[in-house]
Amino acid sequence: MRRIGYILLYVALGLVGVFQIFPIIWLFMFSLKTNQEIFAGNPFALPTDPKWENYLKVFEGGIGTYFWNSIWITVVATVLTILVASMATFAITRMKWKFSGLVLGLIMVGLMIPIHSALIPLYNMFLNVNLIDNPISIVITYATYNLPITVMILLGFYTTIPREIEEAAIIDGSSIHRLFFRIIMPISAPIMSTTVIINMIYNWNEFVFVNTFISSDKFKTLTVGVQNFIGQYMTDWGAIGATLVISVLPIIIAFLFFSDKIMEGLSASAVKG
Amino acid sequence: MNKVMSNKWIIFLYTFPALLLIGVLIVVPLILSGYFGLMDWDGIGAMEFIGLENYITALQDSKFWESALHSFLLALFSALSLIAYLAVALILASKIKGANLLRKIYLIPMLLSSVAIAQLWIKIYNPSNGMLNSILRGLGIENPPTWLADPNIVLFAIFIPIIWQYAGFYILIYYAALKNIPESLIEAAKIDGATPLQIALKIKVPLIMNVFKVTIVLSIVGSLKYFDLIYVMTSGGPNGASEVMASYMYKLAFASYDFGYGSAIGFLLLIITLIVTVIIQKLTASKDKIQY
Amino acid sequence: MFKKKAIAVFGIFLLSVFLLAACGGGENESGSSESSSGDGDKTVKFMHLWPEGSSAQHHKVVNEIIADFEAENEDTTIELEVLSNEQYKDKIKVLSTSDELPDVGMTWAAGYMQPYVDGNMYAALDDVINKDDFVSGTTEAFSVDDTTYGLPLELNISSIFYNKAIFDEYGLEAPETIEELNEIVATLKENGVNPIALGNKDAWTGSMWYMYLANRLAGDEDVLTQAINREISFEDPALVGAAEEVQKLVDADSFVSGFNGLADEEAKSMFMGEQAAMYLIATWDLPNFTTNEDVPQEFRDKVGYFKFPTVDGNGNTNNYVGGPGVGLFVAENSDVKEEAKNFASYFVEQWGERAVTDVGIIPATKVDAGSLDLPQMYVDVLDDLNAAENITLYADVQMSAEDAQVHLDMIQALFGGEVTPEDFAKAHEEALEQE
Repeated sequence: MRRIGYILLYVALGLVGVFQIFPIIWLFMFSLKTNQEIFAGNPFALPTDPKWENYLKVFEGGIGTYFWNSIWITVVATVLTILVASMATFAITRMKWKFSGLVLGLIMVGLMIPIHSALIPLYNMFLNVNLIDNPISIVITYATYNLPITVMILLGFYTTIPREIEEAAIIDGSSIHRLFFRIIMPISAPIMSTTVIINMIYNWNEFVFVNTFISSDKFKTLTVGVQNFIGQYMTDWGAIGATLVISVLPIIIAFLFFSDKIMEGLSASAVKG
Repeated sequence: MNKVMSNKWIIFLYTFPALLLIGVLIVVPLILSGYFGLMDWDGIGAMEFIGLENYITALQDSKFWESALHSFLLALFSALSLIAYLAVALILASKIKGANLLRKIYLIPMLLSSVAIAQLWIKIYNPSNGMLNSILRGLGIENPPTWLADPNIVLFAIFIPIIWQYAGFYILIYYAALKNIPESLIEAAKIDGATPLQIALKIKVPLIMNVFKVTIVLSIVGSLKYFDLIYVMTSGGPNGASEVMASYMYKLAFASYDFGYGSAIGFLLLIITLIVTVIIQKLTASKDKIQY
Repeated sequence: MFKKKAIAVFGIFLLSVFLLAACGGGENESGSSESSSGDGDKTVKFMHLWPEGSSAQHHKVVNEIIADFEAENEDTTIELEVLSNEQYKDKIKVLSTSDELPDVGMTWAAGYMQPYVDGNMYAALDDVINKDDFVSGTTEAFSVDDTTYGLPLELNISSIFYNKAIFDEYGLEAPETIEELNEIVATLKENGVNPIALGNKDAWTGSMWYMYLANRLAGDEDVLTQAINREISFEDPALVGAAEEVQKLVDADSFVSGFNGLADEEAKSMFMGEQAAMYLIATWDLPNFTTNEDVPQEFRDKVGYFKFPTVDGNGNTNNYVGGPGVGLFVAENSDVKEEAKNFASYFVEQWGERAVTDVGIIPATKVDAGSLDLPQMYVDVLDDLNAAENITLYADVQMSAEDAQVHLDMIQALFGGEVTPEDFAKAHEEALEQE
């Protein structure tokens, strides 16, 4: 009886798994097809005559600079967000002060702003401080717009940290910085890895801000590479597919790496918690 | 202890960076957009102050309320789907074989950009050559629905990819939270003879309740301002059948040159979201006081 | 311990640097972001929407023209920014709110550019334009109160393209009347062939059908334009009748299934994948049916086109629905307005012949087709253009942006059977009357 239950469970899990992995396989096939096959052909069909030249087109389009920009902007913005968000969450949840609720409320308002409302005011502000067409505008915008969600995710975790941990540390004569950096941050590694993944995905795939604030090719990111193949009347979908495949690879690698970090964090917190 | 943990200077140091960023890059634009909402402005040339006229118009604008209804429906479905994600996370976080691999596979769709996801689902829903209708015809259904073209179906057809797109996100959060539960608690329950289901419902779920509440807020707020896939897949059509608040706002501000009115809608979107969030927090506040 | 503290300090330092950079810049706010340096060199910013990846030929010709211009004007540099269509529109919108338009950029005609002209964003170009060089009607579409604000680059007219092989298979011939078209549709349906590809998610595609039907029903009067200009009511019999005709076509299953959810791109692919026999589109797609090497030769050979048929014996097939696509504007507040104007006019001059020979689009400037080696379909289209008696400008271009939204929504509703022809006309009348 129990065995049948397990078998059924695995069948169900496996089916969902197939459904979840299908998009990547589909995307790869998509990248090897012509517009005709993509739109009018059988969507399950393998490409009849794989168009590897789609990838060639993408590399000829000068994707290298975009690639590098995507990487460093993603990394810097993610580090900035995680650091600032962790500090703020620590102060809000672990320290005692009157306005913590208010500050949290303010951060939460940041969750609610539709980006198209913010776009024009932001452009105007960056223009006034000469940050248009400067990657700093992108980095701080990404960092800021990810802050609220990062704080929210950390929050649920920080509230569950037992008080005793802090008390023990403080009684041992530890400073608050030491408490934060040496104790709280390490035990929050699993949730931090989670927020790193989420931040990376967002930063990596963002294009509204980068399109609006950046005009020089040398500062543009990979999402702009996709735009390169969208024409006034015609779009080269196969090449877009190839760009999407190339741009999803680094994020998959990073994801696999950080996703194992969640497991490592487990052992760390199991010892201390 | 208390003295150390309420050191004003430290609190300032730890919260100031976040407040500065949010204050300058979110709150100021927000106030500005509320201010633009008081203007008759096409985004080009001079503005004219018209007081609350845009806001009053919006409150009487049936298209706005229709789009708001769609946004609320999306929020409702997104929130309900959290239960399913929690169930999946519970399974993945339990010690079944292959959980680690499954977890990685399950999160893959989350890594794709909206452009890719939109293209995938456009191909799934295509009425003539789409994957879904190919399967349905294979099953002998003569006239399968036209999905994105049918005003009665389109809204729900488009909810599915949106909810699916975020599945990985929530499963990831629940998974991390579940993994954070000390093993000792679970071992103790096992010794007391609790079944896996009992452990899940009586120990694990209550322990991650705080996280669950946060995700309710995240999913509802995210749904109310949702834009991406709707814009790419249907542009809110046919004839407004899948319009949501954010896409309506975008259309007004960027396509109809009614920037003042669009800003007002954007600001109302924020107010509505704010009210909903406060209500949810009141509803989910438990007896044992949440620390924040 | 010390190390970690150092990281914290460093982190905060990093942040402060970012923010100082942000705020510090504020002090030299007056430092213009227009990049014109002191030594007499002028930089003209030019934005266009033909990315290399999707529009290789356009992109190449643009770059060649820029290179030639820079060679002839050594003190002027052209700084280029290329965006895709939608991104371009959004970005221009944002730039205009801060009065930061590029020195030279692309604009659409009539309704699209009206707010920019009203807001004094576009420079008058009468001093650099020679109207005789342009096909009549094109510069007018870029004019407000007899002043020209845009230099048109392309001209498109719509026709119904069809698959000759499919027509031959069922013994069909290009129709001249809507009745013949209906019979063709019926025959194709009987044989399980999709008659007409239509991607009405974008709605301007359905609008072309509606506009042609209205044009044919009204005979030689351009009722749609008159209604938009408020000379007549939108509840004119021809405009209501055209809506009825649309629904007749829909009821006869003339269009592919689920057209209201399909993008034009998907419909085009159905036509090009020989899954549908007909497709109403403008001449910008000519390369796909003639010279585009990415499209199988076999298919290109099968494509023919016919003029939109007459309706109930009414209509003049020398009337077209179409219009100039994009044109060049020069920003009114440009620091290098003279250079920008020179560049824009140079560009248009150079563009004409190369547009048709190298890029495969019909330019708005007059072209002597006889002297060029062109595919037959181009020759035919250019002949049609020469014989054209009237071109009704696309409704969503003619109307103000706000009315265009109403029009596009109503078109979807009309094709979807959600609105009666009377209510369709009424909604237009109300929207147009509000101005």
